[in-house]
Amino acid sequence: MDILKQLQQRTDQFEVVHVRNESTQVRFESNRLKTSQVEETKGIAVRVVKQGRLGFAASSDASATDQLVKNAIESAMYGDQVPITFPAAQSAPTVKTFDPMITDLPIPRLVEIGKEIVDYILQIEPEARVDVSLKRGIQQVALHNQTGNEAAYHSSPLSISVLVNKIQGDDVLLISDFTGTTVWQEDYMAGTRRLGEKLKLARRLVAATSGNLPVLFAPDGLLMLGLPLQQGLNGKSVFTGISPMKGKLGEKLFSDKLTVIDDGTIDGKFGSAPYDDEGVPHRRTALIERGVLKNFIYDLKTAAQSGVASTGNGSRTLFAPPNPAPTNFIVGAGDTPLADILAGIDTGLLVEDVLGLGQGNIISGAFSNPLSLAFKIEKGEIVGRVKNASLAGNIYDLLKNIAAISRETEWVYSNLNLPYLLLPEMNVVAKAG
Amino acid sequence: MQEKILAALKSSKADYTEIRLEERESTTVAYRGKNLETASAVIDAGGIVRCLCKDGGWGIATFNDRDNLIAKVEQAYQCAQVAHNDEPIELAPVPVREERIAASLQRDFRDISLADKKALIEGYNQILLKHSDKIISTSSAYSDSFSRITFANSEGTFIEEERPMVAVFTSAIARDGDNVQTAYETRSGQFGFEFVMGQEDKARTAAQRAVDLLRAESVVGGQYPVIVNQELAGVFIHEAFGHLSEADFVYENPKAREMMVLGRRFGQDILNVYDDGALPGLRGTHKYDDEGMPTGRAYLIKNGILVGRLHSRQTAAKMGEQPTGNARAISYRFPPIVRMTNTAIEQGTTCFEDMIKDIKLGVYACGAYGGQTELENFSFSSAYAYMIRDGKIAEMVKDVILAGNLFTTLLNIDAIGDDFQWMHRGGGCGKGAQYPLPVTFGAPHIRIQNVVIGGKK
Repeated sequence: MDILKQLQQRTDQFEVVHVRNESTQVRFESNRLKTSQVEETKGIAVRVVKQGRLGFAASSDASATDQLVKNAIESAMYGDQVPITFPAAQSAPTVKTFDPMITDLPIPRLVEIGKEIVDYILQIEPEARVDVSLKRGIQQVALHNQTGNEAAYHSSPLSISVLVNKIQGDDVLLISDFTGTTVWQEDYMAGTRRLGEKLKLARRLVAATSGNLPVLFAPDGLLMLGLPLQQGLNGKSVFTGISPMKGKLGEKLFSDKLTVIDDGTIDGKFGSAPYDDEGVPHRRTALIERGVLKNFIYDLKTAAQSGVASTGNGSRTLFAPPNPAPTNFIVGAGDTPLADILAGIDTGLLVEDVLGLGQGNIISGAFSNPLSLAFKIEKGEIVGRVKNASLAGNIYDLLKNIAAISRETEWVYSNLNLPYLLLPEMNVVAKAG
Repeated sequence: MQEKILAALKSSKADYTEIRLEERESTTVAYRGKNLETASAVIDAGGIVRCLCKDGGWGIATFNDRDNLIAKVEQAYQCAQVAHNDEPIELAPVPVREERIAASLQRDFRDISLADKKALIEGYNQILLKHSDKIISTSSAYSDSFSRITFANSEGTFIEEERPMVAVFTSAIARDGDNVQTAYETRSGQFGFEFVMGQEDKARTAAQRAVDLLRAESVVGGQYPVIVNQELAGVFIHEAFGHLSEADFVYENPKAREMMVLGRRFGQDILNVYDDGALPGLRGTHKYDDEGMPTGRAYLIKNGILVGRLHSRQTAAKMGEQPTGNARAISYRFPPIVRMTNTAIEQGTTCFEDMIKDIKLGVYACGAYGGQTELENFSFSSAYAYMIRDGKIAEMVKDVILAGNLFTTLLNIDAIGDDFQWMHRGGGCGKGAQYPLPVTFGAPHIRIQNVVIGGKK
């Protein structure tokens, strides 16, 4: 704890984060087990406040503490004046992030699960090529600051990613699934089954229809609309003035079917922990409630700059200072069963995945993406896969008018919980032939 | 350290063993609007051991503590025995080399004070902020990094290579009511501090473009003939074609091999594409790749015909082709995989005036926000664009995202410009979990017929 003493003497406020991660991974490539890997990561990140100025430094060399302290103090000499206060200990929610069932998984068991996934897919599509990666780990995070606040916890992330590619002539179909959890799930095949269903539906290619059509976003596809929303709700975009939602708290901006929540307190999810990365307790924050803008997400610095309190959304990697980021980002379930939504569509599109997610000027709400996996709906039935179609629009217009949101939701991309969402009309551009 | 490394290699029971150690010091100074986000230095040091057991598989250990390399080799060896393959994994032979490569920088950025680095980027940031009252925020960053990589393998290769990198990024965000527009300019290369000095014009260009974009209408969706500028053409060839030419996609997939069979026509006779990891100063350049293979020029398309692909030692051996020096890793935390270095469409013969004069209604797409490919389908977004009307550049339009099918689109390239440029832009390429890897693109203007552009009706 030598470093804490040094910092106590030489700075007004400080924060030291020790990170220690270990993981074990097995990777299948083209249906075969190819690689197994162990990783050990250690590092220290330091923030200091000296004469009201904020400084940062980090190192993966645990022995270089003198250099680290020197770098942090030099950084503070040039740092901006921010009225930031590293917080004293506050009571945090109980959140399950660790499960010995995961850390005790032997490598042969990881290999067995991988094999089960490959076999399941090959039984549906014998000619497919399947890449599977299974990774289990232990992460230990310990934060100390000048108040004596010691926020420490450990977690046991398990991730299963599956990528299937199927080539027929010049037609390439790529479908992937990612499952991330810190608590053992007995039904570890759920993601693979979901992927299998998509593979079956994708067998038949049908011509896309251009024009104004109802578009149903599946949970995976809904990120196309969710990403601009996340950026707009980020306190940093609000503080810098680039968020179109700036200054609109309390206003009804969207359809009353839309509710958006950030919740870092759900057991076992990748975005969950008792504290955020600055020692602020996680919480459940309603961001949009029945279409009304309720809150933005903040870390300590952005909150201090904006004159509000942190919402417990400080997020960091070892080598960069924290920024506000969603914990678990949730679009609230609706009241219509998915089957009823589908049944009500005469001619429409089901969007599962898009290309180029997040590229373009998405802070403005605008998006424009080709669809990498989409299905045509005819008379309430999914009739086949559509290629060479793209969608464009602006979420601040489109989300004013939502036709339906499903009762069913799914966890996708590890920290998003999303429903099926139907927009009554979008301009679909499809290339002929 | 050399003795420790050699002793650890000697202790290995695997058929092939390599050790790569890295020490990286980097500095970042970043502004957001008028606020300094950070001015800080980080130190990252660690290593990776990779073992191959021919009847097993690859075993990998990554770590920060470099004290006990023999134990790390043993760990990696244990990992390599987890897999059992009937078909042994072979590595294509590469020359055994012993070499030390020192970076030579005109003005070594490690000797420049944090105060001077801050002053440089603050100056550019001020240009952005003062340009117009429409500019409500900015994002400006200076960064440098200096890595020392030591690579050694059980075949006797021992290479030490210094890899410097310097970059500036200036981005302006303009707003008018609900309309928010962003424009950016960057400059990056393996050079000293002088390379990022005197870039005030870049900041001015970014600021003016963000303001101009406020008045631009969204493009009307549809199919157009499109002229693509050098920067976007470079991103295009990287995204749409380059990734498909990475052999790890085809080497164990018979269907993909059929699709990417050498000799297949990909473009018209005018199209030539190469990747070259040996060009001084470019971001993707190293004398050796991360398997110790010397880099060089690999032609991918010659006169419209597919003539080559990018290899690691493993993919080259499997396909009976030559390794190309394209096995790269973003850091010691990752094993090398097949990646591009500096990828280019070669200089053509058409001047810009000839390219545009016959287009009645089209789009001139410039700059790039990014791109993505899912093999035969790609998407890439231009940073700004103009309509082409009656052979002339007309009004600015925004939200121009080009999408399409690789095979038809490459064949639809019907003119290649005589104005080739390497783009010294920052940013990097992502593949799997490995992002961002420094790469460079180069191209002249190109014209593509029948491109689908999403947008309003």
